Amino acid sequence: MIEVKGLYKEFDGKMVLEDINIKFQPGECSLIIGASGSGKTVLLKNLVGLYEPTSGEILYGGSNFNNMKMEEKKQFRREMGMLFQESALFDFATVQENVMFPLDFFTDWSFEQKLERVNFCLRRVNLENVNNLYPNQISGGMQKRVGIARAIATNPKYLFCDEPNSGLDPTTSIVIDRLIQEITREYKITTVINTHDMNSVMEIGDHIGFIHKGRLVWEGNNKEIMDSDCQPLNDFVFANNLARQLKKNK
Amino acid sequence: MKGTFQITGEYWQLMLRVFRKPEKWSIFWKQFWKESQKLIIGSLVLVFIISLAVGGVLCLQTANNLESPLIPKYYVGVMARESLVLEFCSTMVALILAGKMGSSISSEIGSMRITEQIDAMEIMGVNSANFLILPKITSATVFSPLMMLMSFIIGLIGGGVLIALTGIITLAQYIEGLQYAFNQWYIFYSMIKMSVFCFLITSVSAYYGYYAKGGSLGVGKSSTQAIVTICMLILIFDLILTKLLL
Repeated sequence: MIEVKGLYKEFDGKMVLEDINIKFQPGECSLIIGASGSGKTVLLKNLVGLYEPTSGEILYGGSNFNNMKMEEKKQFRREMGMLFQESALFDFATVQENVMFPLDFFTDWSFEQKLERVNFCLRRVNLENVNNLYPNQISGGMQKRVGIARAIATNPKYLFCDEPNSGLDPTTSIVIDRLIQEITREYKITTVINTHDMNSVMEIGDHIGFIHKGRLVWEGNNKEIMDSDCQPLNDFVFANNLARQLKKNK
Repeated sequence: MKGTFQITGEYWQLMLRVFRKPEKWSIFWKQFWKESQKLIIGSLVLVFIISLAVGGVLCLQTANNLESPLIPKYYVGVMARESLVLEFCSTMVALILAGKMGSSISSEIGSMRITEQIDAMEIMGVNSANFLILPKITSATVFSPLMMLMSFIIGLIGGGVLIALTGIITLAQYIEGLQYAFNQWYIFYSMIKMSVFCFLITSVSAYYGYYAKGGSLGVGKSSTQAIVTICMLILIFDLILTKLLL
């Protein structure tokens, strides 16, 4: 479980996150939603340790991540996987080398054992016969899937996804969402997803936190979101005509 | 705008992260040879062509300017040798390499920064500075003295070829000049300089790439800043090393 307690983050005197308190449970897809610039990426970067909180605590299974020493953090990071908005696959490496990268660093396995694991992870994300291709030779959707395969290669306890559907068509987006949900449930991973895609919210939102102007103003799930009386959330969820029509016809 | 002190502080902080024991030596050596090929072998043709041309031009200009009958003809060889070994093969070649190696390193690392590839390594628990930068610095610093040596030999050959083709002096006079009052220390002095310059080229360009911000425009800007800074530092360190070593 990840627990965020009284998290504040400021940049150059401007408060970007204010008093964030939220828990993320294992085996659940927790979605952080909010408009662009609301602070959700900053929250995610605080969770993974790319930013230091101005104040507050981030507890991983009860241990405060920010109080850990450099070496402890390094060890701990091996339990984390992250899928980036633009996949962040290494340009210099093939698909196989990308997925094998964390295994090269953190295991003493033989090449054959690593290859077996790579092929398992690639099959798990429905990719085959792409081992020797470079990231620029595969589609955006395939890049995301390679990103997921790389993120799960070391069996992480925590998976973070920053806008996993950005730049993907609706069909591929659903494939990626379902894949993340399946993996989360299958391996009991604590998954935190940053998104503003309402399809994802309705599809896999086991737990949703809505951030508005740097504050967590609503928490619930994909069943409760349609009936919320939180005005900023309703403005966000029912921003387009289709969503408004759906609510009207409900 | 970052101040000089902030840049210097960030640079040393980065170097502290770079000069750590690699996570796995096997990965380091793999990267080391890869970078040696890219940075050193990849620069050989450029250094070869420039050294050959400059060696020839130096002989031609020296011969044209030695009009006094009191100065022996073999002085063309002496002048070419001294100019090549003292300044051209280290300082001038380093300034040329600053453009080639420096822009390549800062844009490569800068692109990785803005496409979050460096963040991906950090989240995995990999020391990205050590993995990406240490092999570049070590390979360039270790092998660059050999490149200086090659540049020197090719420069001398360039001079010899020009003399053979134009007949401004005889080849025997040229060779006599090359051997006249030769100080071996100059070779080591030049090799040390080249090694220091290549350390500056790789580490400073890596610094600018590592802290690049703001998309492709930011990568271009950091690349330009890197090359300007490296050129200034090469000239400053040229003065310091010459004062210390000669």
